[in-house]
Amino acid sequence: MITIRPSDDRGKADHGWLNSRQTFSFANYHDPAHMGFRALRVINEDRIAPGKGFGAHAHRDMEIITYVLEGSLSHKDSMGENHVIVPNTIQAMSAGTGIVHSEFNPSEDQTVHLLQVWIEPAMEDVEPSYQQISFAPAEKRGQLRLLAGPHANGNGASAVIHQDARVFASELRVGEALSYPLAPGRFGYMQVARGNVLLNGQKLGEGDGAAISEERELSLAGAAPDGAEFLLFDLA
Amino acid sequence: MQDVNVVVVFYSRTGSTERLALAAAVGAVQGRALIRLRRLPDSADEATIESSPGWKANRARMNKEFVAPREADALWADAIVMGTPDGGDMLSTEFKRYFESLEALRGQGKLEGKIGAAFTQGSSTGPLYEAIGGLGLITVPAIPNSNIKEAARLQGRAVAEAARSRRAAVAAV
Repeated sequence: MITIRPSDDRGKADHGWLNSRQTFSFANYHDPAHMGFRALRVINEDRIAPGKGFGAHAHRDMEIITYVLEGSLSHKDSMGENHVIVPNTIQAMSAGTGIVHSEFNPSEDQTVHLLQVWIEPAMEDVEPSYQQISFAPAEKRGQLRLLAGPHANGNGASAVIHQDARVFASELRVGEALSYPLAPGRFGYMQVARGNVLLNGQKLGEGDGAAISEERELSLAGAAPDGAEFLLFDLA
Repeated sequence: MQDVNVVVVFYSRTGSTERLALAAAVGAVQGRALIRLRRLPDSADEATIESSPGWKANRARMNKEFVAPREADALWADAIVMGTPDGGDMLSTEFKRYFESLEALRGQGKLEGKIGAAFTQGSSTGPLYEAIGGLGLITVPAIPNSNIKEAARLQGRAVAEAARSRRAAVAAV
């Protein structure tokens, strides 16, 4: 079963400096029917104006993955991490027992466009940690690039999170396709960042999401001339 | 578990006390509090700040990351934790101004039952604790540790736990 969540049905917040579309309830957007999907708690698509951002704030017991689509985002936290992330970079933070961080668009003229994902951890009170991994754009082109999962992968090519969940990024152009087997009892979620993509024959447009259950095989095909970029989640 | 609210109000010129404030906030979060971090505005004149490159650059950065405390923060908070770089025997001008704003709230009975605590990278939190006591706040003492950042974290945590105990005690009455 594939349940599409059209882009415009998502929560909406426009603060001038921040334009946010929220797949699940977040901040002032509250809908009991959309509190999350499996361990997936938040998918926010944010556009942050140059020089603006989120001042110092705290997190606890949450796996937070930030994926920049365009522009750059600076990050500073109570663990002493101080970085700027750009596209084709995985940033994963385990809040665990508690962290305080701030996030800003360091650019003077370019808006940053990003997806921020929160996944509930399988356990509370883990030691806070920060991971940042860059990869070549070709690694997600026409294939699924693992961003984060429960196990260390290769030479630290993807982030490790405290949940039985895998997060992939991919870019598909017209004529490009791939398939992904979902094990019995597993669930999927898909979030399109840009362009159009076909999921088991159903068209997903820019900003659309899809909750996937009781499907064994996901067939994905690019449906936009300029390509489509999306995140795919494999969830317990 | 019931939420408790902790606001960490600090003053920092070049970021050292800011680091302690972050540690105190992390401690409070570890104690399962909701936190707000607030930086006191500079009271020094512009020329003095301009003449110190570290101060000027850090001020610009911190003014993006933190807003100044507002009345609503003190009303929201179960506990106010204060951090100063100036740990001498006098209250700094920045904190004097802050206490004036709190004094107005105290006069309206709006600080009753709230908790106060202080940390410093200087030599003494004496003046801050004295002022906190003067407001009638319930004090949570500093926790001695050779590492001042660790001390701030432990204190933040102790404050969150004290705030929770206090809430439970009030609810039980």
